Amino acid sequence: MELDDLKGLINQKLMEGSPTMTETNLTLLLKGKASSVISKIKKSLWFEIACCALVVPLFIGIAFFSSQSSLKIYFGLFGIIFIPFTLIFFYLLKKIKEFDQSVLPIKENLQQLIKMLEDFTRRYFQFNMALLPICFLVALFLGYNEKEPIVVLDNLIDKLKVTKSLYIGFIVGYSIAMLFGLVYLTKWYIRKLYGKYIDQLKILLTELKED
Amino acid sequence: MDYKEKEFIQLLNQNQKIIHKVCNLYMNWQEDKEDLFQEITLQAWKAFSQFRGEAKFSTWLYRVSLNTAITYFRKDKKNAFIASVSEIPELTIQSERDPIEDKTKAMYKAIAALSKIDKAIVMLYLEDYSYADISEIIGITANNIAVKMNRIKVKLREATLKNFERI
Repeated sequence: MELDDLKGLINQKLMEGSPTMTETNLTLLLKGKASSVISKIKKSLWFEIACCALVVPLFIGIAFFSSQSSLKIYFGLFGIIFIPFTLIFFYLLKKIKEFDQSVLPIKENLQQLIKMLEDFTRRYFQFNMALLPICFLVALFLGYNEKEPIVVLDNLIDKLKVTKSLYIGFIVGYSIAMLFGLVYLTKWYIRKLYGKYIDQLKILLTELKED
Repeated sequence: MDYKEKEFIQLLNQNQKIIHKVCNLYMNWQEDKEDLFQEITLQAWKAFSQFRGEAKFSTWLYRVSLNTAITYFRKDKKNAFIASVSEIPELTIQSERDPIEDKTKAMYKAIAALSKIDKAIVMLYLEDYSYADISEIIGITANNIAVKMNRIKVKLREATLKNFERI
């Protein structure tokens, strides 16, 4: 029972139960939506770009019109940070579009796809992580230098008889817990979205290693 | 419909059996086959602007179809289920069995159980592509394709025998 003996019959069997599509059917298919990972990443990038387009003018607006200096600095800084982020998102989108239009040999296609997904997930993680220290340190610095006392917080500290060292200890502990929690959560989220898919692609690529 | 779209639809119509074959080999359920068919069609349309006619349209379409099918993973559990179901011999209610038909079924089942990459190689081999042509589509050397094809043939022979005994 050799493959060569059954070539014709297997070829016939591969066509069994396939309805012939008319040109009208095929034209209609072109209006459908793609469900590949690449199209999902494209949608995700467009979403990020839309968010940046909304956030940048909003934050810069707050920075301009707010009367409090801490709010001016905080939102102004984030408004500016999101501008290069938007440009990087556009760059990633351009790269993905180029890849999406290319027809590469299977091995090269797998290599490129893995690289693209790894690049995308790495950038996504870096963006999230880059915002964390800025968020914490700037907020801490601005809060510390705020001339106006925060009455609610001062009352609470008095009520609970919190010492200064306990207060600092709480802030440090809270920052560390938040940092580890968010790093873990971001990694888990990225892994859930693309991790398994990248692993499956890598297994396929291993099969194509030259003997 | 513009000229480019018309040209694409005509070429796709003439070569649609390629997509049907890939869908039948890579998917088990009708719904999944239809989804993959649409995905391949969309992918081919997106890439068509880069098609310069250096290769035959059928070869180009094979490349697009196989790339899409190989990197296409369903989220549901249907395929995991069918993988185990495909091991179960089909119930035959025919009074007279055709040995050739049984052999073909057994071989087909063996091919369906191959890995995604091996399926691609077999599919191109069945279309009588030379090792050099297959190597261009897959992206590894022709020698490597020959080695792989020999291994696949041995694998298929053994699996077909087992499947045939079960029918």
